[in-house]
Amino acid sequence: MAERCAIVGIGQTHHRKVREDVSFAGLLREAGQRALDDAEMTWRDIDAVVIGTAPDSFEGVMMPELYLADALGCAGKPIMRVHTAGSVGGSTAIVASHLIQSGIRKRVLTIAFEKQSEGDTTWGLSGGRSGGVGAGGYFAPHLRAYIARSKAPEYVGWMVAVKDRLNALKNPYAHLKVPDITLEKVRDSPMVWEPVRRLESCPASDGACAMVLTDEAGGDRAPHKPAWVHGTAIRSELGQFPGRDPVNPKGGQDCAADVFAQAGITNPRKDVDVVEMYVPFSWYEPMWLENLGFAEEGGGWKLTEDGVTEIGGDLPVNCSGGVLSSNPIGASGMLRFAEAALQVRGQAGEHQVDGARTGVGHAYGGASQFFAMWVVRDTKP
Amino acid sequence: MTDTDPQVADDGPVRFMPQLISLDYTVRTNPVAAAFGEALADGRITGHRCPSCSLVFVPPKGFCPICTIETTSADEVVIEDRGMVTAWTVLTPIQYHGQQERKDYALASILLVGADGTVGQQRLIDIPLDEIRPGLMVEAVWAAPEDRVADDRGYGLGTAIDGWKATGEPDAPASEYEGHTL
Amino acid sequence: MRDVAIVSFAQAGSLVDTAESETQMLLPVINAAIEGSGITRADIGFTCSGSADYLAGTPFAFVANLEAVGAWPPISESHVDMDGAWALYEAWVRLQHGDVDVALAFSSGISSRSDLGEVLCLQNDPYYLMPLWADHVSLAALQARALLDQGLATEADLAEVVARSRRNAAANPSAHPDVRAAGDLSVDQLLEAAYTVAPLRAADCPPTTDGAAAVILVAGDRAREVCDNPAWIRGIDHRSEAHYPGLRDLAHAGSARLAAEHAGVADAPIEVAELAATFSHEELLLTEALGLGADTEVNPSGGALASNPMMVSGLIRIGEAFRQINEHGKHRTLGHAASGPCLQQNLVCVLEGDS
Ligand SMILES: [Zn+2]
Repeated sequence: MAERCAIVGIGQTHHRKVREDVSFAGLLREAGQRALDDAEMTWRDIDAVVIGTAPDSFEGVMMPELYLADALGCAGKPIMRVHTAGSVGGSTAIVASHLIQSGIRKRVLTIAFEKQSEGDTTWGLSGGRSGGVGAGGYFAPHLRAYIARSKAPEYVGWMVAVKDRLNALKNPYAHLKVPDITLEKVRDSPMVWEPVRRLESCPASDGACAMVLTDEAGGDRAPHKPAWVHGTAIRSELGQFPGRDPVNPKGGQDCAADVFAQAGITNPRKDVDVVEMYVPFSWYEPMWLENLGFAEEGGGWKLTEDGVTEIGGDLPVNCSGGVLSSNPIGASGMLRFAEAALQVRGQAGEHQVDGARTGVGHAYGGASQFFAMWVVRDTKP
Repeated sequence: MTDTDPQVADDGPVRFMPQLISLDYTVRTNPVAAAFGEALADGRITGHRCPSCSLVFVPPKGFCPICTIETTSADEVVIEDRGMVTAWTVLTPIQYHGQQERKDYALASILLVGADGTVGQQRLIDIPLDEIRPGLMVEAVWAAPEDRVADDRGYGLGTAIDGWKATGEPDAPASEYEGHTL
Repeated sequence: MRDVAIVSFAQAGSLVDTAESETQMLLPVINAAIEGSGITRADIGFTCSGSADYLAGTPFAFVANLEAVGAWPPISESHVDMDGAWALYEAWVRLQHGDVDVALAFSSGISSRSDLGEVLCLQNDPYYLMPLWADHVSLAALQARALLDQGLATEADLAEVVARSRRNAAANPSAHPDVRAAGDLSVDQLLEAAYTVAPLRAADCPPTTDGAAAVILVAGDRAREVCDNPAWIRGIDHRSEAHYPGLRDLAHAGSARLAAEHAGVADAPIEVAELAATFSHEELLLTEALGLGADTEVNPSGGALASNPMMVSGLIRIGEAFRQINEHGKHRTLGHAASGPCLQQNLVCVLEGDS
């Protein structure tokens, strides 16, 4: 690796169902400007821009890097667009970090986004055909298989929902806030895709997330304490073939093993202080805890049940409120990566985990077949 | 091509101007899917058995994605129109433009006898939603021959099969459906 | 920078109205690139692909293409919704890390199932430009007009480009069959044709093409071990310029010039350049912007005018520049890719052989 990579600026929008106050480009600029302000830089200081978003059909703009070039100050600069389904926010950040680590660029701005209100996501997912199952309908059988396999009590899913919704109350940017959330309230919310209840699933959000990444010299000069990238990994696997296990996919296992090895993490449960993982439906918390090696197979739900994943627990998960609270699809992965970095920088505000020094960001996409992860710390690798 | 319909509210500024865009695509049925569709119209479900790993893919893809080799009609095998439910979901249809579903319904993954992978998103017929379970044995309810149109993209079973009804056989054991969550 | 070379290239460069699925179209191309490279699939440490959902009319269309790659056991893989040349760029960046030595970059596109004149309108600013339904040919014609108006080219110059492209395409089995079948046309014959969108005539515009291409990249000495004549990436860079045609000097391809500067085009003479000039006047703009002299042979394959599979055309240009070194013994060549209305985005890749 030629160069170390520092995260010196982080910004995100206020995520809402409809951000009617900003244009498509304005949404990205809001996040980008906040990241630049944090880094005390201007658009002019940036060498290259990497953007990421889910399918173009969600907003109806084809290859939006073309239209967005003007708003993102890219005249005369390189701009790339990444698309790896739901994991895209994570893999976009990784592409940006690789531009730094390879020594090719010194200051990279990366932005992931979705403006769901300017399109129709369920229509987009179904390709405009009748009978589209949507994401929840697709994933529900996997969740049911996990519950059957692990014998997890039904209330574990409600517990994840309550935890993440309480965490969201501490995050000024979070979209969905349910101040009077209780287990009963989750239990009594309508079943949308059995076993997924309304309050156990993510909202549809407009939002964007941005980060300024620099080389080591940039990190040393940063006005605010940077986070340092200690490992990045991506994995993809076939979406469907006989014997494939979408409950505990090998791609996720391999991705975690790879990124932990890079960061010198041998016992993730002990060595990691804070995790932001991609949990669009509550049951994915215990599933990914097992898949990523934080718990043994069948034991993920016990961490949730024991309060280990709460702020103040041993292994806080999704202190920001997670995807359950804000889901600008293309940005959701980058929000996980950025929130992990905010934690190790000590800048997570009310949802800060005391003394967090090692953070993990995680995203997944497609048929639970695309994975992206990074490990960040408050010290250099 | 464009249908611009500014909805000017009586009591406030314009918030949204819906612009519905229509793009026309020509969908072509690939040769492998076409052969599959012809067999379906004839009342047969076919797959390709990979000559390398022996896995049977239904519908056939024209290649084995695991071995990354092409498969041809020489690799074709006939699959039974009977199998077991391995996974399912009950949908409350979200109403988007073009959606025609109105009521809750179930879609299941079905492992057919003779196939190694499931066919996904199959309609269950005359099975109460709360009686669906993994291992449930089902058989095809074929559409009338004149109504059988293969799926234009080569996925699924198109319109040849209206859905699947319970056969009344004993449920398959867990060992047969585990590992087929997809 | 770590030395990285292209060691293999394969294409299905000019399919017409293909009935195959994108995955079926890709599989033999990827297999051919791997077979021609002297490496095995298991050696590939990073894979990156390029494609566009909107061409397929299906969200997540690229996901199915993973089946042509061989993604079991899981692989390290990424995707850009851009021409495959940018996938190659991302793969080149990844190889700079040093832990991975072999990468696969590929792309695919089926243009024949939609009306590009409609679909590509969706690349324009959704608020102010898109509602005008200004299609890519009309926007290209604006740029051609700017060139003519500023006295930088004549319609006969455009026809010269077309005539040469067609002559060269006749010898390229991967060029579009309709273009090859049309045979030699003189400048005078070309100028007799009616305008499609003035000042552009049908022959100034590319044929609708489906296709796929794949490239294997290998770093360091291993490239020489597996390939007799690898093409080393000496410089690669890409730049955008303002999206709004009105904000740009359309008579000059500013971002192409910048990309060429950063890719080191001027460091030594370029013997052959393969340019993704999808309209005849774009070749003139690009030749000037890239600083190519009269001694540089341009588009011996016939170029994008003779075959233009969307999302693949740029990667094919780099592949053809590789072939000039690998098969024809040239020393220094250039491959170029472009994206967006009026050459908004440009990528330049300079290749060198050992000889
Ligand atoms: Zn096989």
